[in-house]
Amino acid sequence: MSRINVNVGKVNLKSPLILASGTCNFGHELSEYYDLSILGGLSSKGLTCKPRVGNEGVRVAECASGMLNSVGLQNPGVDYFIEHDLDYMNSLGTGVIVNAAGHSFDDYIEIVSKLNKYKDKIDALEINLSCPNVKAGCMSVGSDPQQVAEIVALMRKETDLPLWIKLTPNVTDIKSIALAAQNSGADAVVLINTLLGMAIDIKTRRPILHNNTGGYSGPAVKPVALRMVSECSQVLDIPIIGCGGISTYEDVLEFMIAGSSAVEIGTASLIHPTCPVTITNELEKYCDENDLDLKDLTGTLKLW
Amino acid sequence: MQEYKCTITEISKLNADTVYITISCPEIAKAAVPGQFVNISADKFLKRPFGIASADTEKGTFCIGVKVVGKGTQEISSFKQGKAVDVLGPLGNGFNVDGYDDLVLVAGGTGVFPINFAKEYYGARGKKITVVQGFRTQDQIIMSDKDSIVSTDDGSFGIHGNCCDALKTLDWNSFSKPVIMTVGPLPMMKFTGLLARELNVPCYVSMEQRMACGIGICLVCVCKIKAEAEGREFDHKRCCKDGPVFPYEEVIW
Repeated sequence: MSRINVNVGKVNLKSPLILASGTCNFGHELSEYYDLSILGGLSSKGLTCKPRVGNEGVRVAECASGMLNSVGLQNPGVDYFIEHDLDYMNSLGTGVIVNAAGHSFDDYIEIVSKLNKYKDKIDALEINLSCPNVKAGCMSVGSDPQQVAEIVALMRKETDLPLWIKLTPNVTDIKSIALAAQNSGADAVVLINTLLGMAIDIKTRRPILHNNTGGYSGPAVKPVALRMVSECSQVLDIPIIGCGGISTYEDVLEFMIAGSSAVEIGTASLIHPTCPVTITNELEKYCDENDLDLKDLTGTLKLW
Repeated sequence: MQEYKCTITEISKLNADTVYITISCPEIAKAAVPGQFVNISADKFLKRPFGIASADTEKGTFCIGVKVVGKGTQEISSFKQGKAVDVLGPLGNGFNVDGYDDLVLVAGGTGVFPINFAKEYYGARGKKITVVQGFRTQDQIIMSDKDSIVSTDDGSFGIHGNCCDALKTLDWNSFSKPVIMTVGPLPMMKFTGLLARELNVPCYVSMEQRMACGIGICLVCVCKIKAEAEGREFDHKRCCKDGPVFPYEEVIW
């Protein structure tokens, strides 16, 4: 057994590294660069019931140690995905995580029940209660513990697939949201989605993003993500998948020590597409040199 | 595909705000076709995309032109010979010249760089080439030679006017199976395309949008492409992966 093998509840992953939704599409493009079967999993582009063309105009702004995006959940819709991309994702030899989003409770229920019909091809559903770039659903649901509790309970009735709930950091108390998800039957939480931010063009005095605001990702958000993983780790019984600015193997170790069972790599793939290869090799080397199994690091943080 | 660790072998100034950079990378030099681009580390967070301006398969080098428009291009333009850079490429889809004999290549702004590669590459492969370049003023003229048809907005050199004024001076009846390929600012490409429609000549444009990954995974660099056949008004296509070259008639301007 590989020393970097991890478990997220019942889901066994050959590595803690999962490609984050929205930074790997469905795997086609990155598979031109490396063999994705080295990964623990790949989380699909966020899917909605109907296709979405996404936001208009400029969708990206570079910021200090990171970037803002306002793609706005552009995706081909769940039906197209099932027909064209699900089997492909299955052929990659890595964990198949399907990310789903909605504009209403009904949307979430519809998409989960649809995907549940293909449960033999899916390892986990990652539910996006956190996208900051759409007007309804997502972050507006995910920032209210009561609504999180309700929507997770409703989805729980639709499927016995592992439900991973991806949460937004744009809240006052992340613990209460994570607990609401857990207590309604979530199998894991994914922490964190992007931080809501803005960039301004001083010449035009307008936001660079035509959506005005966007989601901040990259190494700049890592300390925020680590803090939230650590906080939630102290109160949750379900596993945490850590996410936010991971670009080196040391980042992975930090997230696992803070309480993550697995991690997601997002923005780093946009800059160095093959960075997961390097990180995988270095994690294996670390385990050998320190004679430990990576999963034993989870939650070993000793707070002052 | 892979990311290459490359070295800048030469960097020279073309005008006040533009440099020409030669980078050693035999793989990219060999694989590149006109219209494709590379994504280059800028000592900033994101890489920056540049159209390939020339490729020398014997020396194993390729060139890009960099005009300073922001912090990333400022950084890159100050790089020195010997500087190591990370390069992804060649990226995107190049021009398709199959079935055309006379290539009319229309360049404005930094479009002169990819158009230069098209001139060299297709010229060496037996196509007949006409290059039309538009500049604001004479002192902006770069990547031009005696065969280029040059227009300047202020009339300080060549034809007084823009690329379209220059295109109108061509003897279109003398061309055999012509096609227009244009790279430059959006308004220039739009009006070039309109003129092409009047002339009943096919036209291809190279779209540009703020980019992040350059390889099709982040969906930030999209442009609107007609999708009536699919029952939709348009799709947001990725400039980096689905383009950057699109038929003019498919773009929603």
